Amino acid sequence: MQTPQFEFMRDFLLQQSGLVVEESKMYLLRTRLQPLLKEHSIATLNELADRLKKDRNSRLARQVVDAMTTNETLFFRDQYPFDALRDVMLPQCASSPVRIWSAASSTGQEAYSIAMIAAEALGGKGKRVEIAGTDISDQALTKAAGGTYTQMEVQRGMPARLLIKYFEQDGSNWRLKPEIRNMVRFGPANLVSPTLSSEMRGKGPFDIVFCRNVLIYFNVGARLQVIDNLAACMKDSGYLVTGAAEIPKGNKSRWEAVHFGNRNLWRLVAR
Amino acid sequence: MAEKMMVVDDARVVRVSLGKIMQSLGFEVIACEDGQQAMQAILENPDVRLIMLDWHMPVMNGYDFLVRLREMPEHSSSPLVVMVTTEASMPSMMKALSAGADEYIMKPFDASLIKSKLDLLGVAYKE
Repeated sequence: MQTPQFEFMRDFLLQQSGLVVEESKMYLLRTRLQPLLKEHSIATLNELADRLKKDRNSRLARQVVDAMTTNETLFFRDQYPFDALRDVMLPQCASSPVRIWSAASSTGQEAYSIAMIAAEALGGKGKRVEIAGTDISDQALTKAAGGTYTQMEVQRGMPARLLIKYFEQDGSNWRLKPEIRNMVRFGPANLVSPTLSSEMRGKGPFDIVFCRNVLIYFNVGARLQVIDNLAACMKDSGYLVTGAAEIPKGNKSRWEAVHFGNRNLWRLVAR
Repeated sequence: MAEKMMVVDDARVVRVSLGKIMQSLGFEVIACEDGQQAMQAILENPDVRLIMLDWHMPVMNGYDFLVRLREMPEHSSSPLVVMVTTEASMPSMMKALSAGADEYIMKPFDASLIKSKLDLLGVAYKE
């Protein structure tokens, strides 16, 4: 890929989604965008960049953002956040409904994993849980809202016991039962948007926010913006769950580390 | 020392592919072609940690093997048993779990799916 076109793509993705693509990660553009090139009969990434320059708001532009920001995910990814949800976070939430936000929900597995844990932990105890799932990718949101997964997707990370309890078989696919689907509402959100907290009004403020393996894709400036945005949408003393390698920097006195095993959860202790 | 595990499947291609995945994850693999061979193998290797078990096999099928295994007092809860089968229906899954299977994989599988199930079972493996 030629330098001017690469620089355009890099800036385009940064502006549209906050995603940082360094030159050393150029292969990501190739592997993620190849199916789109084929679909639109575009021969090269250079040609794609030229097409986007002409119209940054086209369907093609949305598809490029989708392809670059949608990450494959699995149910109960990393396990410990869900153990922590069951053992630490949910028991400490006195309010009802408990509001939980899966801030980069991708195709929905994280939000539905949260819903299943909540149903298991609180079933019959009278406490309600409302979950918001947001993502920047329209394609991911559509799939998430459908709550239907292939046989391979539904098995990754999912205990067979919960598959039996909370899914219905639909041909070769598996669909979450309404009792779980109805706990989650999906909608679009750009985590770097300066107006995010007002956009999220009505869904929050949140007791618990999951924002995992997202901050690593942003540059320092965007990362601080995302953390400010998340904090603005949270209740005092709310919990933030980040990826294992992600620490919410910025205003350090704002976050208190809560140890869970050898991992940390973050508690919002100051504004 | 490597932990022992058994791959029980009448299809050679599965014994080889699943065996390779398990070896790459650090296990010593014992391969069996049916439930009867598996029964003999477990008697000779009572320290097996995990069994990956097909359902449909000649001589003795996986379900019958599982029922007999769990009837043995020393094997009522160990080794861990993961069904690995083309039986992709909810009733089959319920039947296997009720009979004492610990997890269930619907074929086809790949290494990441296998690892995610080992994670669920708390079985350590080599990355």
